[in-house]
Amino acid sequence: MDAASVRAHGVSKRFSGHVAAERLSFEVRRGEVFALLGPNGAGKTTTVRMLIGIIRPDEGHIDVPGEGPARGRLHPDRTGYLPEDRGLYQEIPILRSLVYFGRLRGLDRRESTRRACEWLERMGLLDRRHDRLDALSKGNQQRVQFIAAVLHRPALAILDEPFSGLDPVSQEFFLDVVRDLKASGTTVLLSSHQMDLVERIADRVLLLNHGREILSGSVGELRAGLDPRLRLRVTLEQAADAAVLRADADVADIAGDGPEFRLTLRTGVQAPQFLARLVTRVPLTAIGTDAPRLHDVFIRAVRDDEARIAGRLS
Amino acid sequence: MSDTRDVCIVAQWEFGRFFKWKDQLISLALFLLVSGVWAGAALVAGSRGSTVTIAISGIDVQPPAGGRFRFVPAAPDDATRAAALRRGDVQGLLSRRPDGRFDLIVAKEPRYRSELAALLGDVVRRERLEATGVTPEALQRILEPPALDVRFADPARERIGRAEKIAAGVCVGIMLMAVFTSLSYLLIGITGEKQLRVTESVISAISPQAWIDGKVLGITAYSLVSAANVALGLSLVGLAAQLASGFAWPSAALRPAVALVLLLYTMLGLLLWNAFFAAVAATVNDMYTSSRSSLTFLPLLPVVLSVAVIRDPDGLVARFLALFPLTSAPALPMRMVLSDPGLLEIGCSLAFLAGAVWLMRRMAGRIFELGILLYGKEPTLAEMVRWATERRDR
Repeated sequence: MDAASVRAHGVSKRFSGHVAAERLSFEVRRGEVFALLGPNGAGKTTTVRMLIGIIRPDEGHIDVPGEGPARGRLHPDRTGYLPEDRGLYQEIPILRSLVYFGRLRGLDRRESTRRACEWLERMGLLDRRHDRLDALSKGNQQRVQFIAAVLHRPALAILDEPFSGLDPVSQEFFLDVVRDLKASGTTVLLSSHQMDLVERIADRVLLLNHGREILSGSVGELRAGLDPRLRLRVTLEQAADAAVLRADADVADIAGDGPEFRLTLRTGVQAPQFLARLVTRVPLTAIGTDAPRLHDVFIRAVRDDEARIAGRLS
Repeated sequence: MSDTRDVCIVAQWEFGRFFKWKDQLISLALFLLVSGVWAGAALVAGSRGSTVTIAISGIDVQPPAGGRFRFVPAAPDDATRAAALRRGDVQGLLSRRPDGRFDLIVAKEPRYRSELAALLGDVVRRERLEATGVTPEALQRILEPPALDVRFADPARERIGRAEKIAAGVCVGIMLMAVFTSLSYLLIGITGEKQLRVTESVISAISPQAWIDGKVLGITAYSLVSAANVALGLSLVGLAAQLASGFAWPSAALRPAVALVLLLYTMLGLLLWNAFFAAVAATVNDMYTSSRSSLTFLPLLPVVLSVAVIRDPDGLVARFLALFPLTSAPALPMRMVLSDPGLLEIGCSLAFLAGAVWLMRRMAGRIFELGILLYGKEPTLAEMVRWATERRDR
């Protein structure tokens, strides 16, 4: 079996001269959580829509292993899609809407009803299955929308901005749901700009800016690529002791104005030895590693890209 | 999953979205109420009788056979006459002055005034003729109306009576009602789906052509059921009219072939217009602010043109309208009610209409595919024509 769930080969899309996606090539592997990242207007949604088959690329093609090259579109029965522009029928009872979407994705009425009830129970909405959608809170409406996307147990779930508009509790809930989907064998492709959430669940990411790929790889690779040096976060009992840290030959950089400081150690310095020495020299109240976050990778990469574009233009 | 299955699921959904038993039953109940009130009022009026009793004095007048006047001799004294008028035993006191003028004393406005005036005119003419010395037999011959038998060269034209024309008008009215019912639900449904952002979820699951086909079929089915409900209601009103006032059903309305053709044309006409308006709705963000809302008057055009069929059911214009796909849905059934189009004409008309439905469905599907995902901007007419005619692979 092909290891890829879907591949994009040099796909481009322009709208009235504006480049929304430019020669993007990537593959989403079976069973992984793959994240499309990028600032607003980077081309994430356009890329997702091309994958789904809602819009056609101007150049390149989408290869769906097992579907044949001619169709060039993900099979609706094996794909789930949570669009960025969310919406369901407001005036119709939620169970009826869910059964309809399940049937559109290939389920029969009975199976669709059974699975909708299972999901509603999991989301804590079973007793409200006969309510109209507009009677639910916004968060609960998002839960119903999510059910509509994955009700038919798709092999590939494409979730466009799944965490937007959610409160922190709901975000945690949906992180668990995505993890469960992955555990059950579903490949997940999600687009987002909420880096702190993405780095907790994504196996690999593709970072876009102005429709172009600017970075890709696993989360670990990207973090390491930003700065391989070890970073520590220390909290001193007395801020004045920062002078000791600044004088230490193993410390390449120190940031913060006390009592918490972020240290970047010189290349090759090992954490255990450095920490053993440090605790004998200054009183500490807390120590932790300070690995570069995906957020930092994202910001750095986008800024570098903007600088490159500005340089080209000037 | 096959497109046919998708179309059926969407059609069921669209039908169920708008069809409510309660609404249909309320509509039927209203017709029943109207029928009941009408029949009841007519029966009550019948039992009381519409006979007008007039008390006469000094006049020799005979009521015509089958007329509603009854003349009785007036009481000799004024008080008794006035009491009879007050009690309603008589509706008028008719007398004649020496100069020949008539006096009518009434308790309320006499609605029979013109009929009575005509009758008294006959009395006066008869008196004047008798004064010339004409014999009663000669007088009878003079006053006898001439016999006029009308026979149609084409026997088919013989049955075009007022009832047939009313039946033709009712058929077109029901068809028009079905078209406007569909139109409003399509526009509400599709623009609503765009505003609620439902479109992407559906389009990712099924093809746009399957979606529009399902929508058009579902809403057409809903409109047909609503139209059938109205037809049933009107039949009840007709029955009430038959019961109350001897209303005669037009012969064409009772012919199964007419009913079948009417159903077929209503269905195809609805499919044609519904496909067109589904495409229009897909390009509109808000029907209340869109200039495209004026297009909703388009279905009136064939109906207005079809008046020509009522005026001259066998004329050249009527024959053309019955063949042309955009007008044949109202025009051909009208021709069937009012005349006898041949089988060849019916066959050709049906073929043209079915072909137009298929063509409209394909073009509407192409416009729908691009229009339904377009937010904030309405495509120009030129863009819509380009979308409808360009070939796409999907």
